[in-house]
Amino acid sequence: MKKVLVVDDSLSVARQLEKIINESGDLVCVGHAKNGAEAIKMNHSEDPDIICMDMNMPGMDGLTALRSLVVLDKTVKVVMVTSLGGVGDKFTEALKLGAKSVISKPFEAENVVNILRSL
Amino acid sequence: MAVKFFGQFLVEQGAVTNESLLYAIELQERTNLKLGEMAMAMGYITAQDIERAHAAQLSKDMKLGDLLVDLSILSPAQLQEVIDRQKATHLFIGEALVKVGALTPDKLDSCLAAFKADQAPYVSNHIDLPAWLITPQLCETAVDLTYKLITRVLGIQFRPGKCQEVNLLSTNRMIAGMDFSGDATVRYLLSVSEGLQKTIAKAILKEDDVETESDEILEDTVMEFVNIICGNVVAKVSQSGTNLEITPPVTIHPPQSGLPVPDGYRGLLFPIHVSDGEVMELGLLIKQ
Repeated sequence: MKKVLVVDDSLSVARQLEKIINESGDLVCVGHAKNGAEAIKMNHSEDPDIICMDMNMPGMDGLTALRSLVVLDKTVKVVMVTSLGGVGDKFTEALKLGAKSVISKPFEAENVVNILRSL
Repeated sequence: MAVKFFGQFLVEQGAVTNESLLYAIELQERTNLKLGEMAMAMGYITAQDIERAHAAQLSKDMKLGDLLVDLSILSPAQLQEVIDRQKATHLFIGEALVKVGALTPDKLDSCLAAFKADQAPYVSNHIDLPAWLITPQLCETAVDLTYKLITRVLGIQFRPGKCQEVNLLSTNRMIAGMDFSGDATVRYLLSVSEGLQKTIAKAILKEDDVETESDEILEDTVMEFVNIICGNVVAKVSQSGTNLEITPPVTIHPPQSGLPVPDGYRGLLFPIHVSDGEVMELGLLIKQ
C-alpha cells in the first residue's frame, strides 16, 4: 500500500481525492493538510510515499512547500494537483522544482490513480 | 478535461518524458531571446541602456520596446527589426522537442493534431462586450469558459443572457469570488441560488445526494468550481501572452440590498438562465 498525503485548502477537493485514493485498492490516504506549512509537518509525522498538493493555497502555497519538501525529504514523491496546471510557466516551474507530475483540474479519478500508481 | 499547454499534453500522453520536456524548455530559453537581449545581440543597445530603460519603467507604465524608443535609444525602425528577428528565430516547444531528439517531425505533426482536437472545446466563441473594456480578451475568455465548464462539469442546460453594466450585484444564496492580478485587475464573481449550490456540490463531490452536507462543504464546492474556471482562464489567456495570477477563492454573503461595485471599478453582469427557475449570475468587476 502506497501512503498518500493530500494537501489542499478546499475541503471538497481533499474529500474527493481521499475517496479516489482509498477506493483504488493499493493506495491509502494518510491525512489532509490545508496548506504548505501543514504539509511539511505532516510529511514528518505521517511519512507518506506520495504527496498530492494544490498549487494555489492561502498561507504557504504549493510551489513554496515543494521547494522545501524536496530538500527535507529526498524520498517523497510530489504531484501537483491544480487548476493552474495548464499555465506553461507554472507547469514547468513545478517540474523544475522536482514535482513528478502535474494534474489539471477538473481531474478524472482514473487519471489520478494511474499517475499515483506509476510513481 | 482542462486547458493545457502543449508540453503538458505531450507528457500526459506519454509522448515525451518530464526530463526531455525540461531539456527542450532549456533549449527554448537559450534560443528565444527577450527584446532587450535581442537588441543587444543585434548591436543596437548596451547592457547600460537596458538598465536605464528598466529604471525609467519604474515611473512610466510602458513596454520595454516602447520605452527604448521613447528614450531615443532605439529608432522605431530598429525596434520593428528587433521584433521581426524575435519572431523569425522563435523556437516553439514542439520544434525544440524535435531538436533535442524527443520527437520526430512526423510524430510532432500527429501530436499537434491530437492536441488541437483535445483543446477544441476550449476555443473561445464571440461574446458581445462593451467597447470601453480595456481587457476584452480576459473578459471574453472568463465568460466563455464559465459557460463551457457549466456544461461540462455541472452537466446543466442554460441560456446566456445579455451582458449589462451594473452598479449593484443582486442578492443570491452566495457569491464565490476570485481576483485576477498581473496584466489586468479583475474580480470574478459567480452568484448562485440554493438549488444551484447543491447542483455544483453534487458535481464537484461526485455524489448523488448532498442534502446532509454542511453549509461549509456546500460553499467550498462553489469556491472550487470558481477556482477551476479561473485557473483555466489564466491558462487560456497565457497562451496569448497575458500573464495573470489568482488568489485562493473566497465566499461572499451579499447584504439584502445587494453587493455594490467598489469605487474605481466598473461592473459587468452576465445573467445565466437555468431551466428550472434557479438563478446564476456571473459578475466581472474591472479596475479602471
